[in-house]
Amino acid sequence: MVLGLTGFVAIARWLDTHRPKIDTEIQQESLYLTGNALRRLSLSFNGLVADWYWMRSLQYVGGKILNAPAHVQLDDLGQLDLKLLAPMLDVATTLDPEFMEPYQYAAVVLPAIDEEEAIRITKKGIAANPAQWRLHQHLGYIYWQRGDYAAAGDAYSQGAKIPGAPPWIEAMKARMAAEGGSRNFAREIYTRMYEQAGDSKIKETARLRLLQLDSMDQRDVIRKLVAIYQTRVGRCPASWREIEPLLRAARLPLVGGRPIDPAGTPYLLLTDKCDVDLDPVSEVPYK
Amino acid sequence: MRSLNLSGFAFLFALLTDHHHALYIHFNMLGRVLAIAGNAFREAVRDRVLYNLVLFVLLLTAAAIFIGELSGGQERKIIVDFGLSAMLLFGVFIAIFVGIGLVYKEIERRTVYAIFSKPVGRGEFIVGKYLGLSLTLLVNVVLMGAGVSLALLYVSRGADPLVWTIWPAVFLIYFELVILTAVALLFSSFSSPALSALLTFFVFIIGHFSSDLKGLATSLGSTAPRFFFTVTYYLLPNFANYSFVTPAAHGHVPGVQHLAGSILYALLYVTVILAATILIFSRRNFK
Repeated sequence: MVLGLTGFVAIARWLDTHRPKIDTEIQQESLYLTGNALRRLSLSFNGLVADWYWMRSLQYVGGKILNAPAHVQLDDLGQLDLKLLAPMLDVATTLDPEFMEPYQYAAVVLPAIDEEEAIRITKKGIAANPAQWRLHQHLGYIYWQRGDYAAAGDAYSQGAKIPGAPPWIEAMKARMAAEGGSRNFAREIYTRMYEQAGDSKIKETARLRLLQLDSMDQRDVIRKLVAIYQTRVGRCPASWREIEPLLRAARLPLVGGRPIDPAGTPYLLLTDKCDVDLDPVSEVPYK
Repeated sequence: MRSLNLSGFAFLFALLTDHHHALYIHFNMLGRVLAIAGNAFREAVRDRVLYNLVLFVLLLTAAAIFIGELSGGQERKIIVDFGLSAMLLFGVFIAIFVGIGLVYKEIERRTVYAIFSKPVGRGEFIVGKYLGLSLTLLVNVVLMGAGVSLALLYVSRGADPLVWTIWPAVFLIYFELVILTAVALLFSSFSSPALSALLTFFVFIIGHFSSDLKGLATSLGSTAPRFFFTVTYYLLPNFANYSFVTPAAHGHVPGVQHLAGSILYALLYVTVILAATILIFSRRNFK
């Protein structure tokens, strides 16, 4: 029995390593069944099948990120070929229209891949869950990301009308028109996303975006200081040490005299360009 | 058959009018039915029917431990979907395979001759067997429900309202199984075990498509097909009334009217199916 067991495990492993790779065309083949067809076929197991499609979409995205040549952010996956993500999220939300996480995933991850599908799925969720102000927040986020501040403001305005919506959503609507493209507003949006995300990956994305915004502010300050030094001395600083007093005066966090980004990695001083940049090893997203 | 259908009223009448002899007969009948039910329950336990609980607990434990990594923070919903769906699926298998064997095994082993040589009516035999399996299913469902509640406590790391709110859905599952058991018993009273299993399984599937049958009936123009689909819709059990797993995973509880209506529907449906079973079984020749 032991010999037999060892034998078939060994053969299974050999087969795994020698199996020809499946063509990506086949791997990316469209789903055979639509959400409505699956809803009928799943009998009363539609919730379970929705969970399955939700977990499949997480694995699908996770697998693509792992195989990506460079590190990519969850909300910037346009370069990865994620053809099946929209259909999978659509199926999950058709099978269980009250399942909120796939809607949030559609709002955060999908716009970089298929913006129209992200909007369609979110609007479908709003139609199925008229009492969920969060879906209006997701829709507002999609519009805000593509720079359509009027539509985003309208989405927040609709969300604010729903009983139980928090007061900040009304404030977001008001601020959207005036400062939709500002960093402060972006900070507000990612802070809300961080607070409300159930999925740890979305939470992490929001956290990194907040770090990025802080880093952008820091780099703006450093650039100004470098410009002041250049005006005074007539050349770019050759090292951080030369502008350390200025950095200290600006209350920037320093380690060993070098300014560090919000993730704790020292910034790079571009001595030839009189500029500052993120270290590629830093956790703070580049774009 | 007639005595069984009237037994409830006759029993009540005897109790109210102090007809001691009639009361004695009905107590005797009740005693015989309960004795057969108790025997059927013991037989199911002896046949290791409740061993499915071990598999259920193993599945649930594995789900509770591993699902967190795969579900993106949706452990609670998935535990409820998974637990209640497994409860329904296991229950369907028990209702079908144990249900069709209830009568068939007695005939096959020829123990039915020994039973009917005593003062036991065929109706009492069928009702007793049915109640025995219903009790087995009740024990099964309650223990599984407790398992799901415990798994919820584990994944929530403490109190969770879902621990209590899933129970109406658990009882709706039980009543679906109770109907299916009666259907299995009906088929087994006149056909082979394999065919009975197949037919009962078809009823389970079609019962979940009832809304489509009704939709077909209303959308058809000609009278005959419309009549056929309307009759089929009302004749087959409407299991859509008992599908509350997905809403339960979101913390929804069925309304009292829905719950009471579904239970009343199940009791009436089971009464009719059991009456038909007794009618067929009473006319069956065992020689």
